[in-house]
Amino acid sequence: MGQRMTGSEALWRSLMAEQVKTVFGYPGGQIMPVYDTYCRFEKDIRHILVRHEQGAIHAAQGFARASGFPGVVLVTSGPGATNVVTGVADAMIDSTPVVVVAGQVPCHLLGTDAFQEIDLIGMTTPISKWSYQIRRPEDVAWAVSRAFYIARTGRPGPVVLDFTKDAQTGMVDYAPQPCRFIRSYVPDPEIPEESLQEAARMIDAAKKPFVVYGQGILLSGAEKELAAFLEKGAIPAGSTLLGLGALNSDHPQLMGMLGMHGNLAPNVMTQNCDLLIAVGMRFDDRVTGKLATYARQARIIHIDIDASEIGKLVPVDLGIVGDAKKALMRLTELIAPCTTRQWQMESILCNAVEKHQVIEPEIYPETGLINPGEVVARVTEFVKGEALVVTDVGQNQMLAARYSRFVQPRSFISSGGLGTMGFGLPAAIGAKIGTPDRTVVVFLGDGGLQMTFQELGTIMQEGTGVKIVLLNNNWLGNVRMWQELFFEERYACTRMLNPDFTLIARAYGIPCCHVETREELAGAVEQMFAEEGPFLLDVHVREESMVFPMIPPGKSVDEILLNNKEWFNYGD
Amino acid sequence: METERLFEITAYTENQVGLLSAIAGIFTRRSLNIEKLLVYPSRIECVHKFKILTRATEPQIRAVVLQIEKKVDVIKSYYEVDNERSCREIDDVKAFLEKRENDNK
Repeated sequence: MGQRMTGSEALWRSLMAEQVKTVFGYPGGQIMPVYDTYCRFEKDIRHILVRHEQGAIHAAQGFARASGFPGVVLVTSGPGATNVVTGVADAMIDSTPVVVVAGQVPCHLLGTDAFQEIDLIGMTTPISKWSYQIRRPEDVAWAVSRAFYIARTGRPGPVVLDFTKDAQTGMVDYAPQPCRFIRSYVPDPEIPEESLQEAARMIDAAKKPFVVYGQGILLSGAEKELAAFLEKGAIPAGSTLLGLGALNSDHPQLMGMLGMHGNLAPNVMTQNCDLLIAVGMRFDDRVTGKLATYARQARIIHIDIDASEIGKLVPVDLGIVGDAKKALMRLTELIAPCTTRQWQMESILCNAVEKHQVIEPEIYPETGLINPGEVVARVTEFVKGEALVVTDVGQNQMLAARYSRFVQPRSFISSGGLGTMGFGLPAAIGAKIGTPDRTVVVFLGDGGLQMTFQELGTIMQEGTGVKIVLLNNNWLGNVRMWQELFFEERYACTRMLNPDFTLIARAYGIPCCHVETREELAGAVEQMFAEEGPFLLDVHVREESMVFPMIPPGKSVDEILLNNKEWFNYGD
Repeated sequence: METERLFEITAYTENQVGLLSAIAGIFTRRSLNIEKLLVYPSRIECVHKFKILTRATEPQIRAVVLQIEKKVDVIKSYYEVDNERSCREIDDVKAFLEKRENDNK
């Protein structure tokens, strides 16, 4: 027999039983009984009051991606709940463990169009890993522990708990009900030894093997196992956007980032390898370009914990469903050692062309206005690759991914699959709160910042030491770039008249600096990191900046634009 | 080009509120029309059974079945069933559940 308490108290107790230390939330009518009992738990759980529920969920995502621990969101029903929906979808497609608890009207009002009633389960079923309505206080302990178990195991994802008000106020004899097993759900499938042996035979027989890896490496904690596997087999590798940081940026076998704005070498090598080994990635269309021509010359092995990803987009010769860490450990034992692979030399030409035609003009220009990539490069040089880099979405994101260096895992947080503008600032807040000892830098554009910049209030209230780098070009830069390249320079609705962002930062008591010239930039970066708490660095960058290389939509991954007109020509 | 045919999908599930709409959503998202739908208790105690008839290509059906099975409360899902297959399914589901119980011990 447990202790007698309300469903609301049982919620806090259940969160404590899951080792929750931080909750991102915003109170409202149908969640008030839960908030009313918070004062009894505030010593154990820190509540971060955001300024908009979207900020709560993105902060929870940033928290989870930085710390590896599920992010927790507490909001009210109706608009409070609908405001987190974008973040739930974002967490689903980016495999981020998040538990959302939303208030709901009392059971007798369900289905009556009551004030602030929405069908949250109906809304979130297609975009969450699990969603459940708690209608009785007796179900709180069970549902919360099940939610955490589902969110963090297997391929992680968001879970939504719709908590009716009568379940919050009703009495229950609370006792923790830890969940370690659900019979219909197999989070860690056993990997058949034969399939690993078959994979090892394929790898040993290959002359030009190539590994493409994604966030699955980070989620399963397989960074060391990946490096050991690559090193034993002398296999070159490319990373997806979300896989960045899984290998040290300076690892000699890392050929760079894959995909639309990735590096030349890994994209070209995808089309020249004879065996493609994909680990913990899902062949997103931003990675594969035109599917009909993607790696058609190669045999393909796909290792992923989500069975529905195998063969979903790319037909494979061998699919292995299971945990990346376990698979890589065993594969490393099974493969024959190899000292060098001659074929890695194919990257040399690609790297030389990219360095000369793209990278150096972007990050070391001598004249003209500051380039956005140049800002990323100065920041990453200053922090020696040790910062945790968060991005918004658009050019800022691609440039931060391209020009940041990473020396440890969980150093890059970005909205990959959903591409949610406004993600950056709240995600950075969550990342800093989740890993207070790390330096957290967020790169964002003037468009994305203004989608969630009310969260500057959260930074002010919580004293969150986030370094905000605004690549300010007074345009929606990525859309402007597509208009220039693919819509005959018709710049519809992408020019922005912006406020003085430093005045806004000052209004929130956040130290800031506005930079217009190259000469001021290095000093401003230094000033930003000298400041102990938060800082806004507003950099006026070149308005018509572009991000290259670029695989235009619908093209093969080796059809790559080096600038507005020139295609990369391998083998000339 | 893959041709469209009628397929019968079966799914063995827990008895959970909302599972019907979760499964239906997988079809809606792909513009697949459900021609016939039966939901009833299976021959295994506390296990429910969905039978869904739909017209699609085999790769589509394979993806749909994997998406159905990905739902937390779905135990197993299959496609293109005849009577013989149906018996094998029951044995397969029973064996799966027994193994899961052993895993839990």
